[in-house]
Amino acid sequence: MAMDTQDTSYLESRRLVKRWAGPWPALANTAMIAVLFYISWWIFQDPRGLMRMYTPYVGYMVCRWLLIMFIWLAYIFDFWPFRRGWMETTHPVIKGVVLTAASVAVMLVVIEGFFKGVLGNFGIAYFSPERLESLGITDFYAVEYASEAIMMFAAIASWLSPSWVVACENAPWQNLKQPTRGLTVLIVTFFLGMIVYLLTMHSHMAILFYPWQEYTAITAPYWQKFANTVSGNFHIAWIMSCTVVVWVYETIWQRYPFNLIETDWLRRTSAFFGIIVVALCLSFFLFYAQDLVWGINIRGTRREMAPDWRWLHVGEMAIFWLVGVLYLNFYGGNWPTKFSRPVNVLARTVISLAIGVAIYVAYYMTAHLFLGTQKGFSHPQQFPMIPTIWLINLFLINMWFMDGWPGWKAVPKTAEELEEAKSEIVAHDVAWTPKFARGLLFGTVAGAAAYTLVIAVLPWIGTNVTLIR
Amino acid sequence: MSDKPLASRRDFVMGAATGVLGGALASMGLYSYTPLAYDRMPKQKRTGTEFGAVRSVKITNISETSWFNNAHLVGDLKDAGGLLVDQYTIGWAPFGNGKGPAKSSYDDGIAPIKAMLPNDIEAAWDIQAKRSIHPENPGGFSTLIEVEDLDGSKHKYLLDVGWSYDWMLQSFKREAIDQMLAAGDIEALILTHEHFDHFWGLPVAMKFGPKIPMYIHNGFYKEGKQYIKDSGYKGDPIVIDKELTQIRPGMMAIKFDVPIITRVYGEVSLAFNIKDKGLVLVSGCNHQGILQMTSTAHQKLKYDNDKFFGLYGGLHISPFEDWDPKYDDLVLSLGKWEFEKLGCNHCTGRLTAKKFVEAGYPVIKGSARFRTSTPDYLGNGDTIVFG
Repeated sequence: MAMDTQDTSYLESRRLVKRWAGPWPALANTAMIAVLFYISWWIFQDPRGLMRMYTPYVGYMVCRWLLIMFIWLAYIFDFWPFRRGWMETTHPVIKGVVLTAASVAVMLVVIEGFFKGVLGNFGIAYFSPERLESLGITDFYAVEYASEAIMMFAAIASWLSPSWVVACENAPWQNLKQPTRGLTVLIVTFFLGMIVYLLTMHSHMAILFYPWQEYTAITAPYWQKFANTVSGNFHIAWIMSCTVVVWVYETIWQRYPFNLIETDWLRRTSAFFGIIVVALCLSFFLFYAQDLVWGINIRGTRREMAPDWRWLHVGEMAIFWLVGVLYLNFYGGNWPTKFSRPVNVLARTVISLAIGVAIYVAYYMTAHLFLGTQKGFSHPQQFPMIPTIWLINLFLINMWFMDGWPGWKAVPKTAEELEEAKSEIVAHDVAWTPKFARGLLFGTVAGAAAYTLVIAVLPWIGTNVTLIR
Repeated sequence: MSDKPLASRRDFVMGAATGVLGGALASMGLYSYTPLAYDRMPKQKRTGTEFGAVRSVKITNISETSWFNNAHLVGDLKDAGGLLVDQYTIGWAPFGNGKGPAKSSYDDGIAPIKAMLPNDIEAAWDIQAKRSIHPENPGGFSTLIEVEDLDGSKHKYLLDVGWSYDWMLQSFKREAIDQMLAAGDIEALILTHEHFDHFWGLPVAMKFGPKIPMYIHNGFYKEGKQYIKDSGYKGDPIVIDKELTQIRPGMMAIKFDVPIITRVYGEVSLAFNIKDKGLVLVSGCNHQGILQMTSTAHQKLKYDNDKFFGLYGGLHISPFEDWDPKYDDLVLSLGKWEFEKLGCNHCTGRLTAKKFVEAGYPVIKGSARFRTSTPDYLGNGDTIVFG
């Protein structure tokens, strides 16, 4: 029985049903996204294409802010001001075009109006290319520097905005109607984002200029000894990992294990900070993995030996994993689903990592042949996060705005299904028992052993595997 | 049969699956970025290849001014689509086709001047001046290296050939490079990499010495290899495909495989072992990074006193007078190698030279002649002697 779903978000109110049996829906959507990716890449980003936004920071800023716009529209505002009736009855392609266009329009207002116009002219000069140019910076770098600063803000927002919805469950404003709830969450996450920006990226921007802007920012940055660099890329590493872990937690982990906690405030707080802890673990490992493969980083050098680049590459590697995670969740039906929750979670983690590694390998072996990018891992002007986030944006347009068209269609959830979804907020299928505890202990040792095996193998990979000839 | 053992086993498996993830993540977080993790990593072994020694190396800066107007160069790059655009398509001389930024190609650009190379380079440049964007902007990077052997004999090498035919012809004549090439006094031309400002002036060198032995990195693209032929080279370039290639006793070429802006790949730098002094490193642009070069040399070469003595070249830090915090990492870290003499210019950037001086590094100042814009570093026509 279908029911009134106005109290449930649009994404939660629908069930996506395959239009055809077998792998055809996934194949059809993959083919459509591949074509859309390449056409849109050529039009907007490709250094050989039409608009050539891959300068790189202009393109980097745009693809990141588009991601934020999609998250704001779908997750924070639940598609407000678009009516639920319109969402449920309009053809997916029309919805895709209209909602994407609306997102682009808001993005332009945010970038051109808020950051460059307001913040750049009345607050912090480096957000405005015109201000920088008038201060003597070459016009190209004036645009690049401002785009870098605006892009960095998006990096933080791409973690905090979804985190408030996914981990904090919109609390304490979950019962407010739209747009009040959306605006409240937006303002709060924007405020938090500004604080995180000032604590993590402002010093990076301040030492871009000569002399270091020591009266307006902490220079040298406080993290330089720990991170072995003065570059803000250190923060990009863990912040991008947070972004990735939020979606891992939301999709393939089905909010496990924090959804075992019944007390609301404890579950939400644990999830919010747990995501950060997991992201830090991931960042430290990915940085160390590079040192194991390529040799210990050398501060002050360039390319793949430089610590600043390696911190950046931590974020890049994490995003490759996110591509695997979202593909498995969107187009692979979050497979497998037949085992217990923890086993499903573990299996999906391994599968998505395998997909991420495969995409990583394929990217570095072939991207320079068709994306107009440079061969090699570490060109300082090359950011694989641009094509990967561009691809993720297309995934989101397809699954959030277009209900998975053409391979899937949306049908309203039944009352039972909605009830089941609500009960999922706290998972009841995993309980603490002596056997579970014994398994946990065994698994922890096995996990540590797996980690030991991986770090033992990585130096061998560094010596024997060549991706780019 | 009771369900109890099954449920019990299921609980164990669920716990184990959770534990695997938790154990792996905890290990990642608690071990990966710790001193303990790094202590277990094998220390870098120094292979220390012996390559002889020389008495001294004298470097004459033929031209370090690769372009004369930074805003024009960066503006052209911006108009063409940014730093990753293929250099042959940008529309710069000698590959302009009159259609504006990013609409050119190697074949289109070279077609009207191919027959004139290398003998009629003045007319070829005049034609290109009408077909290219900002034709007055190109200069070039080129250096003469004179190596004095232990027995006192001297050997000359040309490192790179600049960009503008017009400017490089003037510069070669100023330093008598044209006569040295014509007389066969220069033993080899070493092209550090394929970039426009180091390589596109090749016909000027070919005009005077078309048979000179030539070394190139194996990352040259097909357009670059074709240009060597079209420039009038009468020979086969020696392709450097190993990390270390000895040019002569005491002189080693080091190959670095690095992606570089405007679709260029790889760079070759030089190392000299100065008897009783130490190692001198010379680079064209140093896209691999100074500290990558010092680290490689430290690991792979054996040199007197186990000491870094000198450094010369474009050090590629802020070529467009741009900045990035990672450059400060270099400024902060270079001191530990304790160079006694730093000769820098070109893509090092004026701001970097300034920061080097502020950091107390022994940067040799220049005379700011022949259109070099600052005395803060070695300019056109200046020389530096190591040894």
